[in-house]
Amino acid sequence: MTVQCELCPKGCVIKPGQSGECRVRINVDGVLRTVVYGFPCSINIDPIEKKPFFHFLPGSKTLSLATVGCNLHCKNCQNWEISQANPEDSEAAFCPPEKLVELTQNYQCPSLSYTYTDPVVYYEYTYDAAKLARQAGIRNTLVTAAYINQQPWKQLLQYVDAARIDLKGISDDFYREVCSATLKPVQDAIVQTRASGVHLEIINLIIPTLNDKPEQIRQLVCWVRDNVGGDVPIHFSRFFPQYKMRNLPPTSPQTLDMAHDIALSEGLSYVYIGNVLSEKGQNTYCPGCKRLLIERSEYTVLQNYLREGCCPDCKKAIYGVWK
Amino acid sequence: MTRRKFIQKIMETAAAIAVGGFWLAEKTGLEKFVHAGKLKNYPGTLKPLGNINSQSKWSG
Repeated sequence: MTVQCELCPKGCVIKPGQSGECRVRINVDGVLRTVVYGFPCSINIDPIEKKPFFHFLPGSKTLSLATVGCNLHCKNCQNWEISQANPEDSEAAFCPPEKLVELTQNYQCPSLSYTYTDPVVYYEYTYDAAKLARQAGIRNTLVTAAYINQQPWKQLLQYVDAARIDLKGISDDFYREVCSATLKPVQDAIVQTRASGVHLEIINLIIPTLNDKPEQIRQLVCWVRDNVGGDVPIHFSRFFPQYKMRNLPPTSPQTLDMAHDIALSEGLSYVYIGNVLSEKGQNTYCPGCKRLLIERSEYTVLQNYLREGCCPDCKKAIYGVWK
Repeated sequence: MTRRKFIQKIMETAAAIAVGGFWLAEKTGLEKFVHAGKLKNYPGTLKPLGNINSQSKWSG
């Protein structure tokens, strides 16, 4: 019997023996099965700043994992070798949720991060591991494009402490042409995440000629400010030619600077620049008195002046999870 | 309307009904899932966990 997967807005109709667009959810004799549960293709210990999370346990390490597969097919994907891989052509280790929690404890990481590809497509693995980790006092973070239906997202969020969500562009055309997805479900998931109280950071990869115009950036930051608040950190990331998008140049540092300045001018409090060696957009400053709060160099925290999550000078509370 | 055009119209209508009926039958016969069950065996190659205490080469 044909089945329909209702995890993500694609709603793939899957015939027996076939998989959905994500390649990892298959129809086995009329039942939907995931082929990647407990089989990560990558497990590593990263700095939390690499996700990037700049307002969540700064300076900490996080046990990070991914399975193959993705429900999006971004032409610029930086991890396309795993996100667009067929499970049958890939290598993976066996690591059930209990083992993930054990490893996280053994390596003394305060958090587990579901990242690199998209935890949406290894949903059941993420859900079970996050639930166990929560019981063990370990935090859970998601690094995701958040292309997921609202009900399963709500269920997962109850075990999540932080989500770093890609807002890849601010037009539906961009999502359709570049990512084979649509904008609205992502916006809904972002709003839902903020409303749930889960710590949220947003990233936007700026691609020359596709989403780098000042008015596009302004529209995006205004949407963030008006829908989830100006205190949500936003990261502008540099594009490099990748995968099916090798015809465009890397994003210029000037464009990233421009995006940074637009976001600040529109009232966003915490604006960062990533994927580029730059002094601008690396540090956290108090939006009240402009004091330096966290000094960073790439993924390393050099100084953290926060006191109990507040500016030591003006005492303003800084959005984030600090301990 | 000529007899030929009349027959053509009937054929087109019948084809449209057939396609619609097929689509409807497929839709109503669908089993819908949000959550997926597990599979015991990985379809690709299994590898040892290896040294995980290093930064990943992957973005994110």
